[in-house]
Amino acid sequence: MDEELIYLGNIKRTILVVDDEEINREILGGILEDHYDVLYAADGDEALSVINEKGPLLSLVLLDLIMPTVDGFAVMEEMQNDIISRNIPVIVLTSEESAEIESLKKGAADFIKKPYDMPEKIIARVKRIIALFEDRMIIQSTERDELTNLLTKSYFYEYASLQDKFHPDRRMDAVVVNINHFQLFNELYGMHEGDRVLTTIAGAIKDFTEENDGIAGRSEGDIFYLYIPHRDSYEDLSEAIRLAVTRDFRIHNVQVRLGINDSIDDDMRIEMAFDRARMAGNTIRTDYSRTIAYYDDKMRKQRVFEERLIQDIADGIARNQFMVLFQPKFDIRGEKPKLVGAEALVRWDHPELGLVSPGSFISLFEENGLIRLVDDYVWRAAAMQIKEWKDKYGVSIPVSVNVSRIDIQDDGIVDNLLEIVKDAGIDPSELHLEITESAYASDTRQLVEVVEQFRKHGFKIEMDDFGAGYSSLNMLTSLPIDVLKVDMRFISGVNDDAKNHRMMELIMDIAEFLDVPVVAEGVEEEEQYATLKDMGCEMIQGYYFSKPVPADDICNFID
Amino acid sequence: MITIDALRAYGANVDEGIARCAGKEELYLKLVGRIPDDKGFGALRDAVESGNLDAAFEYAHGLKGVLANLSLTPMLEPVSRITESLRAKEDRDYSADLNEMAEAKVKFDELFT
Repeated sequence: MDEELIYLGNIKRTILVVDDEEINREILGGILEDHYDVLYAADGDEALSVINEKGPLLSLVLLDLIMPTVDGFAVMEEMQNDIISRNIPVIVLTSEESAEIESLKKGAADFIKKPYDMPEKIIARVKRIIALFEDRMIIQSTERDELTNLLTKSYFYEYASLQDKFHPDRRMDAVVVNINHFQLFNELYGMHEGDRVLTTIAGAIKDFTEENDGIAGRSEGDIFYLYIPHRDSYEDLSEAIRLAVTRDFRIHNVQVRLGINDSIDDDMRIEMAFDRARMAGNTIRTDYSRTIAYYDDKMRKQRVFEERLIQDIADGIARNQFMVLFQPKFDIRGEKPKLVGAEALVRWDHPELGLVSPGSFISLFEENGLIRLVDDYVWRAAAMQIKEWKDKYGVSIPVSVNVSRIDIQDDGIVDNLLEIVKDAGIDPSELHLEITESAYASDTRQLVEVVEQFRKHGFKIEMDDFGAGYSSLNMLTSLPIDVLKVDMRFISGVNDDAKNHRMMELIMDIAEFLDVPVVAEGVEEEEQYATLKDMGCEMIQGYYFSKPVPADDICNFID
Repeated sequence: MITIDALRAYGANVDEGIARCAGKEELYLKLVGRIPDDKGFGALRDAVESGNLDAAFEYAHGLKGVLANLSLTPMLEPVSRITESLRAKEDRDYSADLNEMAEAKVKFDELFT
């Protein structure tokens, strides 16, 4: 096989030669048969039945125009009407130049003149057309999303950039459409129904972009992108989607959110413009009263702030800008509260931004994995502090530290923590590891394995924020723990004293059943303290006793 | 048995014809051998003589294609003229061209006897 055929993919293609003159068919066959499998048809009817039968297996049709009954034009027309055969290229065999325009209109890809050109020329044309159409097919299949027929993400960006190039003065908006809780919809109604919803919404989006001179694409899952000449309102898009969904589905609880970036700078990369639109949309993810959110200056500032934190974290750690504070924990079962431990809490004393609270950076760093750096820093600081107190005051004050789901994914986490306690010269039982339920949500099996290893080595496991989320109970059945932590703020969120009371009793019952002590954190008032003590809660942490304090101040609480 | 030399002497552009058949001399001779039995010649004459010019055009067009591909020049020339006139729907006297075609065909058939 020659080089060019190898380029075409090394498969012998099949060509259909249609001509009512047998001699002509055989001449073409003689030319083509060394390179291709050749099928023949003597008239239009026969040609169409071969095309229907072979479908996409045909790489090319060489078609005579003038034939009795069904002629070449009629064959091309039929082919254009068929979803499969319209993708098969046709080279028209003709001696009349006048037929060329008509043939082009009917979809011909090229012409071969009669009397035939020399074989090399014919072979070259045939190869070229097949390669061209195969390339086009490949492009089409990567250009369009199979399910919705919208552009795929990379092609969408490509076309959006082209729009900018050809219409540099036109102000464009980046719009991102998300379906709220689409994953839940898939779980409730099945993937098939989920796909139908995606198709319906894609249809509405496609109509909208066509009417408004824009383009539309689908990113992964339930995320749609629209690039549209600027408009003041997107209520009509939101309404069009809503109508399409109510038209096609009995279930009406499919809700979308629109994130819009209508302030795209000229030099902004298109990806970033959509990133921002998406960010805007995500701000109303849980707010069902709103369907449209614009990217604004506040979000921009927040983004800049976050970028800054990401940029500065490594330096902050190297320069000890992170401060570890300790909030004492008291055993309240006796007459007098007794210090039994502390929770390590981190602050970032940024040289320019000032004191940055963990609320500003924990979830951000969890998203990008940088939380590992912070956690590792806190673990070391806590371990060394435990040792220092021990040396100074002759008592062991265990410290609880956070272990996030990102840490759990790190294969070396158990070894790392063992090394930390070893370096500090303390016992693993003195370092309590707080696991939150967000860790449980990611990879349960891995979490259970890691936690079991921790406990085998003597670390104590505390379940943090118990009751704050729906998977807490699931977590308890599979995860071996030593302490249950309850945040009073979650409980006092229930605006009913009787309910709060009942909730806390329930948690105490669960703890009793599991035979683990309960730590109530976030205790701020005497009344809460009294009630908790009454209920038999073992330990308390919160502003009622002390805010988080520097390590040196902990001595004030030692008896 | 038809030979390349005989075809050449007849006036066929043999080299071109063989080249068009991908250099396959055997194929060329095989295809040329079908021409004596080609019904197109008779059908063309009948159609013209009965005034059915549309059908005549189809026959002439078909013949022209085949003869051109095989480079059988002596027959091709009159058939080409007929074809182009019929394409233009010229209602003229075709007998001279038809006769020239018939004569060339007779000479051609003789090569096979």
